[in-house]
Amino acid sequence: MATETLTPGTPAPKTPEAAAPTAAKPRRVRNRYLRGLLSPRGLFGLALVGLIFAAGLAAPLLTSHDPTFQTADALRGPGSGDHVWGTDEIGRDLLSRLLYGIRTDLLIVAAAVPLGLLIGCSLALVATTHRAADVAVQRLFDLLLSFPGLILGLTVTAIMGPGKATIITVITIIEIPSFGRMLRGAILVHRDREYATAARVGGAGPLRLLTRHVLPNAADPVVVQIAVSMSIAVILEGAMSFIGIGVRPPDPSLGGILAEARPYLEDHPTYALGPLVVITALVVGLNLIAEALNRGARR
Amino acid sequence: MTGYLVRRLPSALGVLLLASFAIFLILRAVQGDPAETLAGSDPSPESVGAIRHELGLDRPLLTQYGAWIADVVRGDFGRSYIIGGSVNELLAQRLGNTVELTVGALVFTIALGLLFGVLGVTVKNRFGQTLLSAVNSVSLIVPAYVSGFLLVFVFAITWPVLPPGGHVSILSDPQIGFQYLLMPALVLALPPSAILARYVKDGLQQALGEDYARTAKSLGIPPRRILWRHALPNALPPVLTVLGMQVGVLLGGAVIIEAVFAWPGLGMLAEQAVTRRDYPVIQAVLLFLVVVYVVVQLLTDLAYALIDPRVRLG
Repeated sequence: MATETLTPGTPAPKTPEAAAPTAAKPRRVRNRYLRGLLSPRGLFGLALVGLIFAAGLAAPLLTSHDPTFQTADALRGPGSGDHVWGTDEIGRDLLSRLLYGIRTDLLIVAAAVPLGLLIGCSLALVATTHRAADVAVQRLFDLLLSFPGLILGLTVTAIMGPGKATIITVITIIEIPSFGRMLRGAILVHRDREYATAARVGGAGPLRLLTRHVLPNAADPVVVQIAVSMSIAVILEGAMSFIGIGVRPPDPSLGGILAEARPYLEDHPTYALGPLVVITALVVGLNLIAEALNRGARR
Repeated sequence: MTGYLVRRLPSALGVLLLASFAIFLILRAVQGDPAETLAGSDPSPESVGAIRHELGLDRPLLTQYGAWIADVVRGDFGRSYIIGGSVNELLAQRLGNTVELTVGALVFTIALGLLFGVLGVTVKNRFGQTLLSAVNSVSLIVPAYVSGFLLVFVFAITWPVLPPGGHVSILSDPQIGFQYLLMPALVLALPPSAILARYVKDGLQQALGEDYARTAKSLGIPPRRILWRHALPNALPPVLTVLGMQVGVLLGGAVIIEAVFAWPGLGMLAEQAVTRRDYPVIQAVLLFLVVVYVVVQLLTDLAYALIDPRVRLG
C-alpha cells in the first residue's frame, strides 16, 4: 500500500510508478539535510531565497539603468516612463537600486557567514582539546556576547569607519560565538555518548574519533545555524545601513534605500515597499530553510 | 546567597574590565585624529599639537585609560570633542528617553510573552494553535525596523490615529506621551516577546505534566487556578533568565527603533557621535550600555539563584 509509506512532511509521490499499488517504497533521500530541504517548507524557503539572490546576481541583465545615475525625473511612481518601479528623490531608478542592493547583501552574506563559521568552529575545536584552552575560549565568547549586536556595530564602525568591510567584520564577530558555542557544546555531548566510547574501545585514535564519529553527528546544529546566520546577516546589514553606519551612499543597499525612503513614506509608499518586501522575504525564507534542515537532521 | 555572589561577581567584573579596556583601546587605535578634525581645514602642526596636548592625547595609553576610568568611576565622562558640552549632560538628556522606550518595551514584552505563552497551553483547537504559532514566528523573525515601517504605514498614514514619530515625555504629558510611545515600544517588544512566549509555554506544559498538577486536579481545583497558582510560578525561573537576556536585545534594538521613530535617545546620540568620531561620547554611551547589560545579567543570575536553591548551592 503506497499510502502507508507516506510520513507527514514528505511530499506525496507524484510519479506514476510511486502511485501504482505494486511500486516499491519511494526512494528515500540518503542525505538527512537534503531530505529536510526537500520538504514543502524547505522548498518554499529555497525558492524565495534563491529567486531573490538570483535576481541580485543577474542585476546587470535585468535592468539597463545605473543604480547611481541621477536623472531629472524625481520621485516618480511605478510604471512611469522606462522606470518600472519609479525613481527616488534624485531621479535614480528604484528597481535598479533594489537589485544592486540585493547584490550588496549577497556579497556581505557570502563573505561574513563563512568567515564566522570558520573562525567560530576553529575556536570550538581548540576549546575541546584542553581545559585551559576551553576556559580562555569561553571567556572570549562571553566578552563578544557582552556587546549587544548593534552596539558592537557602532563600536566597530567607530574604529573602521562606515562601509562594507565594517559590516562584514561586525557580522563575523557576532557569528563567531554563536557557531563556536554550538559546536563546542555538541562535541562535548557526543564525545561522551556510547558510540564514541565504543569507537574508542575499538581502537580509534583521537583524530579519527573526532573526524569520523563525533563531528558528523555534532555538525547538525552548526548546519542549521548557517541559515540562521545568513538571516541575521541580512537583518544586520539592513539595520546598520538604515542608521547610516553601513554601506555608504550613493552605493545601493537594502537598509540604505529604506533610510532614504523614510521621509517619503506618506506620498510615495512604493519607495519603501521594495526593500521592506525583499528583507522580509529573505528573512522568512532563510528561517524556513533553517527549520527544514533542523527537521531533516532530527528525523 | 553571599557565597554565590562571591563566586559570580569576579566574572562579571572581569567582563566589565575587559570590555571597558576594549572600548577605550580600540577607539584610540583608529586612524582619524580628533585633534586634526577639530583644528579645521589646513591646520598648522603646532595648533594640532596644542589641541592634542589639551585633550591629553599625547600621554601614554595606559595613563589615558587610568585617567579615563578614574573619571568615569567618579561619574565624570569628560567633554564632548565635537557635539559640544559635557558628556554627562548629553547622556542625561538622552538617557531618560531611552529608559522610557526600553521600560515601555519591557512591559509589552512581559505582557505579550505571558499572554501568548498561556494561550499556547489553553488554546486546544487546531486552527487556534496554527494561528498562534504563525503569530509567534512572524513576530520572532521579522526585524523590528520592518514591522516599525509597517505600523507607521498602517496607523500613522493610512489610518492616522498615532503620530508617525517623535517624542513627548510620558512624565510631562501622560496621554500624548503614551501615543508617541505606543508604536516604538510595541515594535521593539515583538521579537523578545515571541521568545518569552515560547519559554512560558514550554515551562507551563512541563509543570502541568508534573505530579503536583495531577494531584491538584484530582483534588478538584479548577484548571484555571491550577494554571495560574500552581503551574505558572514553577514555570517562571527559566523565563526570568530569558527575560534578563532580552534586556540587552531591547537596548540594542532601541538604537535602530529610535532611528525609525525619530526618538531622541541614546541610540541617536551614539549614531551622531560615531559618524562624527566624537570619542568621549562614543565611549560613554558604549560603556554605559555594556555596564547596564552586564549588571542586568548579574541581577538575573542572582534572582535565579534566589528562586532556585540548586543554582546557588551547586
